[in-house]
Amino acid sequence: MNWNMETDHLHVRLPVTDTDGDALFELLKDPDVSAHVPKAPMFASVQGLDELRRATMQFQARQGVTWLIERQQGDGVLLARVRLSQINWMTLSAQVQWELSPTLTDAELDEAMFAVHRFCFGELSIHRLDMRIRPGVDTHTAHLKRLGYEYEGCLPAQLEFEDEWVDQEIYSLLSN
Amino acid sequence: MKFTPEICFEGGRVRPLVAEDRDALFQLFQTPELPGQHPVQKPEQLERMIELSVQMAATQRGMMWALEVGCEDNWQLQGMVSAYEWQPSLLRTMLRVDGSPELLIEHRAAALEVCLNFMAEKYHLHNFGYQWIEGQPPEIVTMLEGLGFEQAARLRDAWRLGDRRFCDLLQYHRVQRQPAETTEENG
Repeated sequence: MNWNMETDHLHVRLPVTDTDGDALFELLKDPDVSAHVPKAPMFASVQGLDELRRATMQFQARQGVTWLIERQQGDGVLLARVRLSQINWMTLSAQVQWELSPTLTDAELDEAMFAVHRFCFGELSIHRLDMRIRPGVDTHTAHLKRLGYEYEGCLPAQLEFEDEWVDQEIYSLLSN
Repeated sequence: MKFTPEICFEGGRVRPLVAEDRDALFQLFQTPELPGQHPVQKPEQLERMIELSVQMAATQRGMMWALEVGCEDNWQLQGMVSAYEWQPSLLRTMLRVDGSPELLIEHRAAALEVCLNFMAEKYHLHNFGYQWIEGQPPEIVTMLEGLGFEQAARLRDAWRLGDRRFCDLLQYHRVQRQPAETTEENG
């Protein structure tokens, strides 16, 4: 199974632990990039390396997948990280999460996610993908709706972040 | 060391699973109440579940109780209460009751309530979830609402019935306020 994908303009690929740490840090040091999760920004490049090591372990255990998105004609700058986690092979479901660079266009996001969805629903035979985001992040909500995700509700008090309990809205996309 | 306590309620009790429960649990799971679930094939499968119930409680990943109805010297195992997807640092867990057809809704509710209260007091959990699967008796929803659970989401096709057959589930939550820290009164 080839987990790396090429679209018209993008590489959607698995990370390389030894070489992608700095680029991932550059993406995730911006607080706005992961505010919708919510998740604290990175403060040191070693955190990027640590995240990639964890991603490798999850991938080897078939518990999760991390894809990095970059332009084919780019300079190695990461446009996004897309992660698949909580893969449940019994219910054929998984959670998807993304962190998007401000330079990523809507068209590029659609192109990348189309490839990710096709891979999940085709190669992995997953039936249901869901994304959980904090309420009020309108840009991400618009992306999800444009991609066909449907709002399912709001799960209360899912995370503690900056001394507050955070609810998470849940959006899903089905294979059919 | 016992991590799962015995707790009494009006008309019954919950208690830790023990090896001797194997055959009664096997009987219970001949009529599984979750849509799409098949009867357990071999009693030996439940021996592993009983072992796991101890390990999961010890590592704070889950907790399982036998649900018995009756009185001293005449207990009947009519169900199980399970806490799963326990997230100790996020102070939340999911709960579920598996009951035999004989289990009355008031016993189901009382058992759920005492287990929930135990986990709130002992482990300071404040967020309890419960998933009702399309096709389960609607009186379970009424019971949940009576216990203070509120529907948070309808998860589409989140429960698998067969090869490529799915149904929705409704996710309920009861979020309790954190008890105010007690302060010592001076004089």
